[in-house]
Amino acid sequence: MICAVAGIGATEFSKESGRSELRLAVEAVRAALDDAGLRPADVSGLVTFGMDNNPEIAVARELGMGELSFLSRIGYGGGAACAVVQQAVLAVGAGLADVVVCYRALNERSGRRFGRAVAAPDPDSGWHHPMGLATPAAMVAMVARRYLHDHGASADDFGRVAVAMRRHAATNPRAWFHGRPITLDEHRASRWIAEPLRLLDCCQESDGAVALVVTSLERARDLTGRPAVIAAAAQGSGPDQYVMTSYYRDPVAALPEMGVAARQVWERSGFGPADVRTAVLYDHFTPYVLMQLEELGFCGRGEARHLVADGGIELGGRLPVNPHGGQLGEAYIHGMNGIAEAVRQVRGSAVNQVPGDGPVLVTAGTGVPTSALILRGD
Amino acid sequence: MTGTGTAGAEMAGAGTAGAGTAGAGTAGAEMAGAEMVGAGMSGVQDLAERLLAAGESPPRAGRDPVNLPMIRNWLEALGDANPAYERDGVAPPAMIQVWTMRGLPPGVTAPEGEPGAGDPLGEMSVALDAAGFPNVVATDSEQEYHRPLRVGEQVSVRSRLESVTGPKRTSLGEGWFVTTRSTWFSGAEPVATMRFRILKYRNISGASRPDTAGLGTATDEGPATGEGPAAGGARAGVGGGAALRPVVTADTAFFWDGTAAGELRIQRCGECGALRHPPGPACPRCGALKQEHTVAAGTGTVHSFVVCHHPPVPGRRAPWTVGLIDLTEGVRMVGEVRSARPIAIGDPVRAEIVDGLPVWRPGVPVLEPLTLAVTPTLIISAALATRDLQDVHHDRDAAVRRGGRDIFLNILTTTGLVQRYVTDRLPGAVVRGVSIRLGTPCFAYDTLTFTGEVYPGGVVEVVGRTESGAHVTGKVQVST
Repeated sequence: MICAVAGIGATEFSKESGRSELRLAVEAVRAALDDAGLRPADVSGLVTFGMDNNPEIAVARELGMGELSFLSRIGYGGGAACAVVQQAVLAVGAGLADVVVCYRALNERSGRRFGRAVAAPDPDSGWHHPMGLATPAAMVAMVARRYLHDHGASADDFGRVAVAMRRHAATNPRAWFHGRPITLDEHRASRWIAEPLRLLDCCQESDGAVALVVTSLERARDLTGRPAVIAAAAQGSGPDQYVMTSYYRDPVAALPEMGVAARQVWERSGFGPADVRTAVLYDHFTPYVLMQLEELGFCGRGEARHLVADGGIELGGRLPVNPHGGQLGEAYIHGMNGIAEAVRQVRGSAVNQVPGDGPVLVTAGTGVPTSALILRGD
Repeated sequence: MTGTGTAGAEMAGAGTAGAGTAGAGTAGAEMAGAEMVGAGMSGVQDLAERLLAAGESPPRAGRDPVNLPMIRNWLEALGDANPAYERDGVAPPAMIQVWTMRGLPPGVTAPEGEPGAGDPLGEMSVALDAAGFPNVVATDSEQEYHRPLRVGEQVSVRSRLESVTGPKRTSLGEGWFVTTRSTWFSGAEPVATMRFRILKYRNISGASRPDTAGLGTATDEGPATGEGPAAGGARAGVGGGAALRPVVTADTAFFWDGTAAGELRIQRCGECGALRHPPGPACPRCGALKQEHTVAAGTGTVHSFVVCHHPPVPGRRAPWTVGLIDLTEGVRMVGEVRSARPIAIGDPVRAEIVDGLPVWRPGVPVLEPLTLAVTPTLIISAALATRDLQDVHHDRDAAVRRGGRDIFLNILTTTGLVQRYVTDRLPGAVVRGVSIRLGTPCFAYDTLTFTGEVYPGGVVEVVGRTESGAHVTGKVQVST
């Protein structure tokens, strides 16, 4: 059964929402249902991230949803972003639910900040946290340094990704960094967070929520929102996989889990990298944008810097990446705002609309078990 | 690529402006003229331009020739038992600045109407006092010694202003960096040179104490070294507290039992012998559930590394370095790297167990640490022996008034202690140069511990730490 995203909804993106995460979830889900022209009572399934603090039953209660027949969560942080949609597709396709809403709500800036070092409870973290490697930026920096070494890239290549994302965000009124582009010199001057990563290599911390309504394409066609067809959805985990610290395989500076997801979505959708109109790539840290471009097949390994240096990922370039500004520019809603952007691109309603009718690729969190989507027009 | 620290970081340090380099003068050097604004600033700017244009000052003779009594006082104050100086009748190289110190600060002893006359550092200091930057800390000293000075030689010094940059925001407050370059002569023969940098600053209002103003804690301006767990020296907001502890399970206990016993252990499959890190209950190669372990040699190379600056992590003082190490046995492991030098991918390293955690150090010979109790007596007697009579080195009230917690070591003494540490540990070595950068001040009642690494070419990298962080990082060039 072919499924589609029939509605998208979101709160504003801020640094201090001033309200509970549950309320943000409720607002986003309601907005997504309104967009689709559905009522809460039409929803039969809810899916969210393992990290989300809002129980499905609480969201259902607040919205008066009534009975649910499908409840699911996906782990591994932002790696879940496209996988929650896959869960919805599986449920709808298997006849377990008719309308499934995927949501993610977080006060990530005003509440618990992911960027901070905390003592993690899992045994795997024992090989890193006590050694002083205790934040996402530092864990990514270990890979980033090796990437520079392996491929002769420079920190400027990371900077060019940040500049492109902020350029896109500058013309997106929903973006936190609307009207605030940066230059490469500003990137070079920004302070070290974890060498070789500077502040402007790290995505922002945001408060906000995003929700997506998934149902069958057949039903979506009868609804008010213009459907974005889910051409493929896939998860991926690589060999010797860890969360942010897959340091014990070779090469260290690669994202084989993204390759696992990519191979599936290319095969299932029938599309290839050359078909993609625009890609929404998970950009919590700039180096992973370069590595994703390579892993997804948009360029050869170690060659992403040439694509980026030539303006290839900017609007009007060979492969516009994150026309909304990404998580570096718009907001960090764990990748879910990127899926909403992909839907807008398919609908033709994005503020930085990329022309054409090719499919849109979306990826989820990198450095962790991840997921990917390909959306296309009906 | 760099290891820790940032090139050209303007780390305000402890110590004092050695008031000794005399002369007027200078040669061209870059200066931040565009940043100079305001009424007081124009005086600073005018003077800086004049001094830069003036070139090297005329020679100014030291008060006394190189002499045994001053050498003995100096050796005694610094606890330097090296017998070579008295035996051979030569001065400790790191005394070079002492011979031309003015004694009391410029402005006090300079001729009437000529504050700091003839000394570019003194003249700039007076001008910056007037512009509202009354406090001073020395930050850098790079000395090269062409040959030992013999008892009886009369030395003179010529100095020039190299640069004046500011106003800059530092962890101590707003201030100006003044850099001079001096050459000492015996007759017409140059015998030593020094680049010397001070920060003239005004206190951060309401929080002027160097020990609380973030000196040595500013994450963007740290010294070029990693810091260990800040036992006892932890402060709020700078990653104080105990290091994060691992979650220990039945599968991983052997590793942590090993580090507790001072060993670095690697899981070995009891069936097929495969080594593995991180460990787990099963062997991914043969499937056996027969966990054994071997003890690592503790050697490896750097596969990748991170220099962590922000945010704070408990038990770490920024910046600290974490490496991904390829062990000789073939497994890979994450661990803190402590090196006086920036590290690079491919560098050899070796493990130590420190506080139950593996710590990797450069794979070069290391010197046995030297720990000193920094008493008021040490600070004061060494200040006198170096003829540095800045009040902050002998008068606690004055030190507190100027923002210190107590009196603190002057930079000439720190330089001398770095030299002493190296010659204590490498008897027979002749010191050819000492370059240091100061970090957190070394106050009375601190404990100062020196560690050193010996690199090819006779370069010894030295770090001196107190409970509050790195007081000094430096490089000593030796020949044998």
